Amino acid sequence: MNIRRATALASLALLPFAGAAHAQDAPSQAGVNDDLRQEIEAQKQRLAVLERKLEIQDEAAKAAAASAPRITASATRFQIGSADGANFIRFRGTLFADNRAYAGDSAPETADTFLLRSVRPTIEGTFGGIYDFRITPDFGSGRSIIVDAYAAARFKPGFVVTAGKFKPSVGLERLASEPDLKFMERGLPTLLVPNRDLGVQLSGDFAGGAFSYQVGYFNGVTDGQSSDNLASPDVESDTGGDYAARVFLQPFINSDNFSLRGLGFGVGATWQDLDGAAANPYLPSYRSQGQLSVFSYRANTATGTAPNNATYSDGERLRLAPQVYYYRGSFGFLGEYTQVKQDVSRRISPTVLRSDTLTNSAWQGQFSWFITGEEEAFRGFTPGSTWQPGKPGTGAWELVARIQELDVDDAAFEGGATSFANPLTAITKETSYGVGVNWYPWNTVKLSLNYDKTSFEGGAATGDRADEQAIFSRFAINY
Amino acid sequence: MDQTNWKRRLLLAMTAAVFVGGVGQAAHAKEITLLNVSYDPTRELYVDFNKSFAEYWKKKTGDDVKINQSHGGSGRQARSVIDGLAADVVTLALAADVDAIATNGKLLPLNWEERLPDHSAPYTSTIVFLVRKGNPKHIKDWGDLVKPGIGVITPNPKTSGGARWNYLAAWAWARKQPGGSDATAREFVKALYKNVPVLDTGARGSTTTFVQRGIGDVALSWENEAWLAQKELGPDKVEIVIPSISILAEPSVAVVDKVVLRKGTRTVAEEYLKYLYTPEGQEIAARNYYRPRNPQVAAKHQELFPKLELVTIKDFGGWTKAQKEHFGDGGVFDQIYAQ
Repeated sequence: MNIRRATALASLALLPFAGAAHAQDAPSQAGVNDDLRQEIEAQKQRLAVLERKLEIQDEAAKAAAASAPRITASATRFQIGSADGANFIRFRGTLFADNRAYAGDSAPETADTFLLRSVRPTIEGTFGGIYDFRITPDFGSGRSIIVDAYAAARFKPGFVVTAGKFKPSVGLERLASEPDLKFMERGLPTLLVPNRDLGVQLSGDFAGGAFSYQVGYFNGVTDGQSSDNLASPDVESDTGGDYAARVFLQPFINSDNFSLRGLGFGVGATWQDLDGAAANPYLPSYRSQGQLSVFSYRANTATGTAPNNATYSDGERLRLAPQVYYYRGSFGFLGEYTQVKQDVSRRISPTVLRSDTLTNSAWQGQFSWFITGEEEAFRGFTPGSTWQPGKPGTGAWELVARIQELDVDDAAFEGGATSFANPLTAITKETSYGVGVNWYPWNTVKLSLNYDKTSFEGGAATGDRADEQAIFSRFAINY
Repeated sequence: MDQTNWKRRLLLAMTAAVFVGGVGQAAHAKEITLLNVSYDPTRELYVDFNKSFAEYWKKKTGDDVKINQSHGGSGRQARSVIDGLAADVVTLALAADVDAIATNGKLLPLNWEERLPDHSAPYTSTIVFLVRKGNPKHIKDWGDLVKPGIGVITPNPKTSGGARWNYLAAWAWARKQPGGSDATAREFVKALYKNVPVLDTGARGSTTTFVQRGIGDVALSWENEAWLAQKELGPDKVEIVIPSISILAEPSVAVVDKVVLRKGTRTVAEEYLKYLYTPEGQEIAARNYYRPRNPQVAAKHQELFPKLELVTIKDFGGWTKAQKEHFGDGGVFDQIYAQ
């Protein structure tokens, strides 16, 4: 526009001089007028042509910009997409560098360690505005696995098909993404629900998210585990599959400012029935909140030609996971209870097979508070300020607290030497209290410090396993 | 019932649910959306036509069909489709641009012209001159366009289908002059482009340049575009001059197979193009100053379409040859315009 104006002004400024020059040479006034008129017309044409050429250039530039791929590189997002936004590929990732320390004699000295808890680059994207994919490997904890690899088709908000390896929708905290976790490690109820599994799921939201459902069928994994933990990673080795379902309601999510707007509750469940075999026990072990192994079923101790006497999954497994969260302003609460009814068997002798149904359960209540005033939510938040040396701003600060418990069925320990679990090495209950602080100096950076004190029942040769005091810290990048 | 049977049955049920759901969606889809990627001057034609077709389709099937329009220089539009613009149908200025989509984009078969009558050109047009009121520069025929001081407005043949028809019509006139040959035609066209001050990307842009910006003395124009300009501005602003010779311009239409296959819109897309050949479709074309193929409709509107000598693309060996020879990279146009 400036060029156009400058050109116009320059041309108009020259007109009187051009006209004057002709006037001096012209033989008559009429001729002078004709010449002037023609010259002015010619100048007008030249000016109009210049303006039009600039206009065409502008149009071409706009057209090129409108069809050009869109590249986004911001503090939180790296993405390449088509001009219409219907197709894009996004690059994301998490890196968790942890330190684990244990106070006193609550854990062996070797448990104190630095570790890369999670190293997960992610490529995800959408094609045609409908078809999504995500591929996430994990190189953390000294192994290389595929965490997520799935494709999804969002035919309608209420009709989404997902297939591949992903989180079956059961446990509430399990469904939270890693960057959104309040504590560095998920709570005890998550030990009882599947982590990642291979399968297919139908899901959808209705009424603007007020009601959502997920129904799926998966290969099936033991409590808290992923399909990459199977004897043959990501390959099913048993005869049963997990049927998974979950409904979740947020009845007031569409209200403007109602105090219960942030309330959500629901229930998840899985069911499996399989023909067990002692050679493939297909049973879980459980960890303390400090991530140390505290419970497992009896392994095979038979020698020679004696039959395998490991405890194994044999029959039905039913998980139920009622769950709730509530977020209002800077405060948040997440509570869940998970119960697993598991049919188990153990061959005591060639002629005696002991079978039972064990019920293990866990619950937790966790509280969070942004002392810097940011809004708590189940998914995502934006720091009110960032922190940089020498500049104003503190970043976001969050205090968290949690109480939780895991209870293993007493029946697992009955029967002395014929029990399904050894009471001298496996705990029957753990109760944990935890507090923590999270600092988000930047949108994609999080520093965490957690303290968890856990007490146990059983799990020791005499009395109870010693209390555990775990002090975990983390430097996390989530982009 | 054992586990294996359960698992198989559930998988089958879920698979069935997915497909039944998908099919159900298709079966219940009451609103269908098509994208018609067209060339510059057809905006008004397809506004009228789309309305008529939507009513026809609603009456025939009960479904609502919404047709989105995209317009621009024909060559540029073809490029956009090749690059991924999801056109269910293309209605472009000339067969060469549809050929490019078939050849370079592989989005429809090479024999696309055979799928509809009149080699998939349901209406025609030609090239005329649009001059200012009173024709102050006394422009009567092609030969007047190369006189000194004449400003000729025509778009860029590299991006505009209409511009290629303009170019070929000028070439044809020169070749038919006494002593005319391809060599004299080349010199004539070269001289003509020396009088072109601005190359727009499309025909509508050229009309804007001539009519609204007041640039030039004559615009080489689609016949329909010239009529439309005169209708909108009035005969006291612009006049139409019919040259002694022009060219039969045959805009081409085609379904873009790969897009309709992906979107599940083949049936309605095919019916959309077939509707152009119906008496209703032909009448709409004629009302928008396109020459209808249907003899009865053409006779009804004969006063709009004066008879003149028309060469055809066959006189240039067909579009494949003409495109490569004249408008391809390094072709005659590049050579004469660069000089």
